[in-house]
Amino acid sequence: MSPKDAFALAVKEVIRRLGRSVLTLLAVALAACLLTALVLISRTAETEVLRQLAKGGPLASIKVAAAAPDPSQLANDNARPGSPRDLGPQAARAIGRLPDVASVVPVITSRMIFVPSAGAPGAGRPEPSYFFDTAVGADLRDPSLLPISVLAGRLPAPGSLTEVAVTPGYLERLRLDPAEPEKVLGAELEMGPPRVFDELEEQTFRALWQRTEIVGVVAQEAAPGGIVTSIEHTRRAQRWSAASDGDTGELELSNSPYTGLVVVADGLDRIGKVRRQITDIGYSTSAPENLIASVQRYLNVVEIVLTAIGSIALVIACLGIANALLAAVRERRREIGVLKAIGARDRDILFVFLIEASLLGALGGVLGSLGGWAAASAVGIVVNSYLTAQGLLGLHLGPSWGVLLLGVLGSTLLASVAGAVPALKAARLPAREAVSES
Amino acid sequence: MAAGATISVKGLAHAFRSGSGSVSALDGVDLEVPAGGYASLMGSSGAGKSTLLAILGGLEPPQRGSVVVGDTDLSRLRGDGLARYRRSTVGFVFQHFGLIGTLSALENVELATILTRLPRPARRARTLALLHAVGLGQRTTHKPGELSGGERQRVAIARALANEPRLILADEPTGNLDEASARGVIELLEQLHAERGCTVLVVTHNRAIAGRASQQIALSRGRILAATCHQSGEGRRSG
Repeated sequence: MSPKDAFALAVKEVIRRLGRSVLTLLAVALAACLLTALVLISRTAETEVLRQLAKGGPLASIKVAAAAPDPSQLANDNARPGSPRDLGPQAARAIGRLPDVASVVPVITSRMIFVPSAGAPGAGRPEPSYFFDTAVGADLRDPSLLPISVLAGRLPAPGSLTEVAVTPGYLERLRLDPAEPEKVLGAELEMGPPRVFDELEEQTFRALWQRTEIVGVVAQEAAPGGIVTSIEHTRRAQRWSAASDGDTGELELSNSPYTGLVVVADGLDRIGKVRRQITDIGYSTSAPENLIASVQRYLNVVEIVLTAIGSIALVIACLGIANALLAAVRERRREIGVLKAIGARDRDILFVFLIEASLLGALGGVLGSLGGWAAASAVGIVVNSYLTAQGLLGLHLGPSWGVLLLGVLGSTLLASVAGAVPALKAARLPAREAVSES
Repeated sequence: MAAGATISVKGLAHAFRSGSGSVSALDGVDLEVPAGGYASLMGSSGAGKSTLLAILGGLEPPQRGSVVVGDTDLSRLRGDGLARYRRSTVGFVFQHFGLIGTLSALENVELATILTRLPRPARRARTLALLHAVGLGQRTTHKPGELSGGERQRVAIARALANEPRLILADEPTGNLDEASARGVIELLEQLHAERGCTVLVVTHNRAIAGRASQQIALSRGRILAATCHQSGEGRRSG
């Protein structure tokens, strides 16, 4: 019997016992649905939690400070920096040449005075109406290399002096609702780096004012600071402030060309090695590697448990297939005998029953996997609305083809295995059943 | 159509396990049916008719003795060899018809040809010709549940002929039919036997049907009680 003919016969048998087939199929579909939904949810949870930890940036990122290292702090995620040390393009190039380093992005921070324009949301709320904060300037040409994620709007254009993004901290300072970050988009913000002037034995500040537009709200871990802008902007500010007279303690000025670097390693497992090499070059580093590793371990345990629960349900459903097919073998003893009497071989019978089982498994798997994806999406929508209400990064649950395919293939394979016993039993039935009395 | 197969049985013995012991179903059966012969097999329940039929049809291998059908020594065949023998040499007609309920008359007949892997156009043409030959050319799409008992048995006969067998084994083919249908089925079998020249062995309880065969064999307690040939008019007793 050709596979095509065996398939056609199996399909007719499935249709013949439609009620039982539908119930069996539903059991498999529900189990596959549960398995797919649980795996999708746990996978998404892992991805999203790690994304939250990395603030949307690469997981394997390392922050390099313009400071000497404290080698005893290497195993610490947030190493305490040593004495200040200049960090410039030469050091950045040296670090970029290290093996296992994927990218190096310089960061310059600058203390500035900020004045929300009159009429902008939250303007005038802080008293006085201006405040000091740190602007974080970075090379924004490839934001995926930075631990920055956009909560609303977009990032400033690379090299722009007139666009900035603010963090949720800015919203809190202005007592704005973090759940509605889009409200500040388009608002004007005047900002200027201060320079200290010694005039007539009195220190005065003068700022290099720049009117900017808030184009985005971001969460960022590139460097401490509430405003994100282009590195060109903060470099200009840094130069202005550096020309100050007298005591500039309050401005936290640094002579280092870069305040820090964001280095991305080739993988989470390479972070430790890269940190050691950067320490050898002479700079302090920090990376959330231990935190991420711990979180990953916990999430892996959760994923294993959830997958096991779904798998157990699928195994139980497949036992249902075995049971249904065993009943079918009992009912079809004579029919199997007749098939053998007209020349069917044992393996022809085996094949027909295996196809029946696989068919139920595959159909149940397809229905269940799609249902599981729908269920996970529904959960995702609920979680997403909660996260954004909390001012956190939104959840992204795309169709995970791998998981869906796994659900279908897993159901088919398990059903085939479950159908093996009844199929073997059917194949081994004696041909004489064709002339039995029953 | 291939010529009928000679049936040659010598010293056939067969037993079944029952509880701790065994029950003898056939005990030293000797039987000869000539190629193209038409024989009937009678006997009470438990006489061994079905066992003899099952062995001749290759449904199970003989335990002792020699069974040769045409050129095939059945005592040497097992598993796939027996399946091949059933597929190529034997056509079965059962009392219970043995039709698959989900398949149409056409598909039921075609099923036998599917197992021989005959190309689809050829098997479809052969199947339709057979259904026409048994008078069911207009009922090809009907499922067994939509056919009368006599029509179902005609479908079964068409299926038995699908692979052009050299031996037709009919196990109580009229057992589930009314008198008129039974007569029609037997006449059809006789007509097909005459046209195609295959050997036919009919198991029956009905003396009138048995009497129409050119060779009548009676079984009792696993032994041939009597074998009579019409043409020669001679009978012999065995056992």
